[in-house]
Amino acid sequence: MIYDVCVIGSGAGAGPIIYELSRAGLKVCVLEKGDIYNEKDFSKDELLVRRSIYTPNLKDEYHTIEEFIDGSWHKFPTYETGWSFWNGTLLGGSSNFMSGYFHRLKPNDFKLASTYGVPKDSNIVDWVISYDELEPYYTKVEELVGVSGEVQKYEFLEPRSTKDFVYPPLKENKIVDLIDKACIDLNYTSIKTPRAIITKQKDGRNPCYYSNYCGSYACSSGAKGSSRASLIKDALATNNLQIIANANVIKLNTDKNKKIKSATYLTKNGTKKDVSAKLFVVAAQAVETSRLLLNSKDENFVNGVANNSGNVGKNFLSTSGGVISATFDKSHLPLEELHASGLFVNRSIMDWYYTKEFKGGAIDILFEHQNPIRRASSLRWKDNGDLKIGEELQNSIFESFTKTRTLNMEIFLDWTPNDNSFISVDEKYKDKYGIPVANIRIGSHEQDLKIGNFIKEKAIKVFEKMGGKNIVSDISALPSANLQAGGCRFGDNPKTSVLNKYCQAHEVSNLFVSDGSFMPTGGSVPYTFTIYANSFRIADYIKNNYNKIIA
Amino acid sequence: MKRRNFIKFTTVFGILLSTNFVVARNISNENLMILDEVLNIIFPKTQNMPSAKEFKALEYLVKNISHKTFDDEDKALIIDGTNDFNSSFPEFLTLNKNEKKELIFEIIQNSSYAKSWVSKITYYGIEAMFSDPIYGGNFEQIAWKSVKHNIGYPQPLKTYGQKI
Repeated sequence: MIYDVCVIGSGAGAGPIIYELSRAGLKVCVLEKGDIYNEKDFSKDELLVRRSIYTPNLKDEYHTIEEFIDGSWHKFPTYETGWSFWNGTLLGGSSNFMSGYFHRLKPNDFKLASTYGVPKDSNIVDWVISYDELEPYYTKVEELVGVSGEVQKYEFLEPRSTKDFVYPPLKENKIVDLIDKACIDLNYTSIKTPRAIITKQKDGRNPCYYSNYCGSYACSSGAKGSSRASLIKDALATNNLQIIANANVIKLNTDKNKKIKSATYLTKNGTKKDVSAKLFVVAAQAVETSRLLLNSKDENFVNGVANNSGNVGKNFLSTSGGVISATFDKSHLPLEELHASGLFVNRSIMDWYYTKEFKGGAIDILFEHQNPIRRASSLRWKDNGDLKIGEELQNSIFESFTKTRTLNMEIFLDWTPNDNSFISVDEKYKDKYGIPVANIRIGSHEQDLKIGNFIKEKAIKVFEKMGGKNIVSDISALPSANLQAGGCRFGDNPKTSVLNKYCQAHEVSNLFVSDGSFMPTGGSVPYTFTIYANSFRIADYIKNNYNKIIA
Repeated sequence: MKRRNFIKFTTVFGILLSTNFVVARNISNENLMILDEVLNIIFPKTQNMPSAKEFKALEYLVKNISHKTFDDEDKALIIDGTNDFNSSFPEFLTLNKNEKKELIFEIIQNSSYAKSWVSKITYYGIEAMFSDPIYGGNFEQIAWKSVKHNIGYPQPLKTYGQKI
């Protein structure tokens, strides 16, 4: 069978394509590397997180991380360090596990180069679309995927076509009163964080039930806006969608017209199979998307498909920043309020998203994850590195768990694209199937760390004002493995970009990339909202031009 | 003399990790008794917290150490470390409670190998303490209740993410 559309991946970049094109009557095939799970399969089992149940075993499938050490670049396989860049290998991908901080990008994020200039040794360019072009799709995501919150005025609030979110805000822990008061005292503006978690019933999805374990866990009610729960389930109802699970796509094959004719995948037992389609959409998350294109070498594309320009993999983006934490106890709030189960913090501070001189960042405030194994295991070490055991350890666990709670401020910064941040493949490093793994060079631009420290100095005052104890900060220019974008940036010039403004490959007319790979810059917020919105935009383009594209 | 031997193993740590891998079912009863004692030294009963025996740490370890998701190197360290400890301190099980405790506290100060071994047992003891009781530890949620931990819902009906 030749499908109308073959989608590789099923996360946030894939979901809108699958949803829109199957509803438009096209026969869609999804090749998902992982298995298919439903709400009833999910639980709040910390061992699933500890043992990476929903991602490949790093000894079988790994990445190499390329770091600059002692004057040169060195590759380290992730099975040596445990630093996994897999984020969810199952239907719906990593969107199943997101915390769902759904901030829109702001208008100037689309024109960073023309607003702030291009720092030396950076590859910042303006986007080829404006905020106005993406705005209707943000609105669509707020409705279909479901975003809860309350629009509050602040200096850098982006223009909106709707007055407020469709879903009212989640219930909050009392500690937000202390955060808000501290911000007022400091003349800061705290806003409610929009979340991709619905607070009212939507078709077959139940509202948030305050499970108490949210981020990093798949949702058992369908409230979290994973592409699986919010889009793919509805797409299945069209009968136009075929999902092939446990299909590990290893190569895209081109024909004499330099179009993709088929995708080769490995089944769970390693058997090679092909799927043919008229149009292909790759959304395997940025690192794996670049890897697939780079590994798809043939006579038409000796350096990988859509890569005759040599741009695939370049300008990989992540998010730098860091975390500031502080502990709170009964001197701040009655313990029953501090430890109230399931309630969210949901506060963000956007006061330094822009400054006059440079692009700043965003702050999201949340409680430390509940995960008791992780929390207790961190208590087995003394400050001097000695092991803590016996009564001392037991008392430490009891005191920490019953008398305190840790609040974190996560700082999100733009990752400045540069020549030393890219995805490549290397024949020397292969997975257990013999396929070259992705190498991620993680060179950051010097300004990222400077801006991180600038935001930290502002942010830390909130915890000081709240009377937080044990305030600790960890600001870093290292990437966040779960925040990946870039590698196939879009642009008008085929010599400097992989994709055109509709995320169609310049060199391959029936190939689209719909995950975060297209982004030339990423903004100072998590990418998922924008990936969803952009994928809806691409879906509209494909839907309206399908016959022309495949002609 | 025996203690010195154990300390000496620090230098052969890497070799020990890569050789003599034994699966859980081959742990001798004596070594299981040693692990049980060590777990109870790491997690003694206190005014507020349950002992390793109470939250069934050893049962958890035995039940889960052979699962495919249990880290191979951790497994080797726990099993080989216990063997090596037994070789170095064959009298351990005959010592009184305080002597056993003193010995464990002493070796983690003086041997990085011993520190790694005890640290690993501590980690998996914490897994036993706070994982869902479906895995065999945290007997009747004793640890969750001790620290008034608000658990997440739903709890697992099957282990290791198996589909329902």
